[in-house]
Amino acid sequence: MNCSLDVIEAYLDEELDPDSIASVEDHLSGCRSCSETFTRFRAQKANIRSTAPYYTAPPQLQQAVRKALRQAAADHPQPAGGSPPWRWLAIAATVLLAVSVSWNVRPTQHPITETDPLPENIVSDHIRSLIGTHLLDVPSSDQHTVKPWFNGKLDFSPEVKDFASQGFPLIGGRLEYLMGRPVAALVYQRRQHIINVFTWPASAAKSERSFARNGYVALHWNRGSMTFWAVSDISSMELAQFESLYEK
Amino acid sequence: MFNFRDSPQTSKQRDGHHATGDACDDDTPFAEISGPMKTVTSPESRLRLFEELILPHLNSAHNLARWMTRNDQDAQDVVQESYLRAFRFFDSYRGGDGKAWLLEVVRNTCFTFQRREMRKSTGVVFDEAAHTPSVHQPNAEDALVEAGNREILRLCIASLPEPFREVLVMRELEEMSYRQIAEVVGVPPGTVMSRLSRARKRLEECAKSRNMESYR
Repeated sequence: MNCSLDVIEAYLDEELDPDSIASVEDHLSGCRSCSETFTRFRAQKANIRSTAPYYTAPPQLQQAVRKALRQAAADHPQPAGGSPPWRWLAIAATVLLAVSVSWNVRPTQHPITETDPLPENIVSDHIRSLIGTHLLDVPSSDQHTVKPWFNGKLDFSPEVKDFASQGFPLIGGRLEYLMGRPVAALVYQRRQHIINVFTWPASAAKSERSFARNGYVALHWNRGSMTFWAVSDISSMELAQFESLYEK
Repeated sequence: MFNFRDSPQTSKQRDGHHATGDACDDDTPFAEISGPMKTVTSPESRLRLFEELILPHLNSAHNLARWMTRNDQDAQDVVQESYLRAFRFFDSYRGGDGKAWLLEVVRNTCFTFQRREMRKSTGVVFDEAAHTPSVHQPNAEDALVEAGNREILRLCIASLPEPFREVLVMRELEEMSYRQIAEVVGVPPGTVMSRLSRARKRLEECAKSRNMESYR
């Protein structure tokens, strides 16, 4: 074996398999320079572990976190099959009314569930946009092209932002029909993944929600008078990162 | 050639499988140890499960946030926000290593937080090294020397550039494996390894230049 700092450090970090360990130990016993390096880094490791501060959470933080979680659970219950609280029934009823008014014949393959159908619809819409040929009505990475395109097609003007420098380039927009109303769909790309952002004027109270199904994640937030749903097959963390860019 | 262990389990703190923390790339419905995830039926049990699986990593979350923000109040704000975010995304948690999953949220929240703070303070970044006096008498009593060592070590770690600092904290203070750290940071384990190596060298130079006892 040649002197390799990488291997010595991996050995120090107990990241090697048994065969490699034997080989490194063999080398260390015969190589003075590597052996010195190893001893130095081992001392440093021991020193960090024994001496560097470990910042444990102060007791009041634990209480604050518990309290905030309970509050969040009470504010935004996400029933996954249990009986939903009345306010979810109210939301579902409102949405179902809108659906039945706008779509006289509702597709039957999705039986009405006791949970809110909106996130399901958001995800379905996203999937539909990917399998069809209708991802973009206005293909453009220029927010000043995409935004005016919606003029006269919607009764609101959507906020259009580009995050190309942060790795989420805008690639265009399209008109979408969702839950009985026309909405703006803004399309972003993340590596090989597509993110659809649906936005329309919100009437609902402020709430933040997330939804995951079949490998798709949808994230909801409100900003000003607008409501937003972002949906993609990227990880929920990346989608959250995207959301935080939007909320800036 | 040298092979890394398949299993990333090195530390006594290991508490589960390798993290997924990702809703999408992993098609396995649930990791094999995550039985309870399948039976969540009510908001109450969702909260209970979250408290059971994720809340125990509060100290790790705080430690990482404190090292990343270098400020007590910011660290607490970040932790609180991280927990709320993690709770929102709990449905996408597929079982496995709750610690790596949570720390990924903490790390992202730190970045969001820093961007926000930077805008507020018109781009002035806090430089801990510039704010901390580094005067320690070489011939002071043992206790003082020890306190000095601790302070120098803290300062040297705190002044590492962020990519090096975070991997060092996760490796040495959180005792996480290369693979777990790779999950949290979103880079290959090889990158974790090289960042860790550079962190150690920089730390050594910093400690030497500040005349640390154990490096004399």
